[in-house]
Amino acid sequence: MCEDCGCGDPELVSVDVHEHLLAGNNRLAEHLREHFVQAGVLAINLMGSPGAGKTAVLERTASAFAEKYRLGAVSGDLATDRDGERLRRAGILAKTITTGSACHLDAKLVHDALHEVPWRELDLFFIENVGNLVCPAIYDLGQAANVVALSVTEGEDKPLKYPVIFERADLVLLTKIDLLPHLDVDMNALRDAVRRVMKAPAIIAVSAKTGEGMGEWLAWLEARRP
Amino acid sequence: MHEYSIVASLVERVGQIAADHPRAVVRRIHVRIGDRAGVERVLLQTAYDTFRARSVCEHADLAIEAVAGDELILQRVEMEVPDV
Repeated sequence: MCEDCGCGDPELVSVDVHEHLLAGNNRLAEHLREHFVQAGVLAINLMGSPGAGKTAVLERTASAFAEKYRLGAVSGDLATDRDGERLRRAGILAKTITTGSACHLDAKLVHDALHEVPWRELDLFFIENVGNLVCPAIYDLGQAANVVALSVTEGEDKPLKYPVIFERADLVLLTKIDLLPHLDVDMNALRDAVRRVMKAPAIIAVSAKTGEGMGEWLAWLEARRP
Repeated sequence: MHEYSIVASLVERVGQIAADHPRAVVRRIHVRIGDRAGVERVLLQTAYDTFRARSVCEHADLAIEAVAGDELILQRVEMEVPDV
């Protein structure tokens, strides 16, 4: 009953919550992060557009680290296992997360997939996100670092058009630089656009095809190992 | 469109809160969405209007407060608790 006057009207109850809308996801991500750190696994959330070259970079990374580190991955894909197959052929212990219509990975999808990957035995664990410059940006997956792959074919303005994902990146990999002789892209403008949106700009230009720049990328990874 | 995923989380959380108040009817949900949160407010409202049917939020309006920054916050839930 209404406590003010006893009129019988419903009482209005207001509950102050003040928590993140993705608090459940973020709690699970923090749980994952603690496990990765305790197990000495460097977890990287690799994001980027469809066709940005995420899988190719991982293939080349696996080749370079084959004798040195154990690599694993989960790969988000709406409909196929193609990237997972490529990663496994490259020597990465990889599991595909088939998302159906979902345009991003969340912490639960990653958590559930870990049951099928011997992640505690790994040195580096890559979360290859669904190809998308929008939705993956806001989901914490328990990673140690966010990396965004941006191919030079995508145009100089993408960091300005999709600022949120670049704001949250710890590193931007400019990929496919072997194609530069065939393109009109202005690399200075591209780098400038990245610097304008990243909080702490960090850029490495690579070609998974020729290997150019891969040494810097590998060194960046090694510097972050727990 | 991740707004649907966010609304699914929102409806689930509101359901947990309402469960603490037997027979309560949720009437209004207040959220704060930053302009750099990576969430489109219009799409969030569309997603909410789709999801609310046959949920604990069926009779609840969604009040979206636009703020600066990257906030993505469930601020407050208002419910009517029937006469007992």
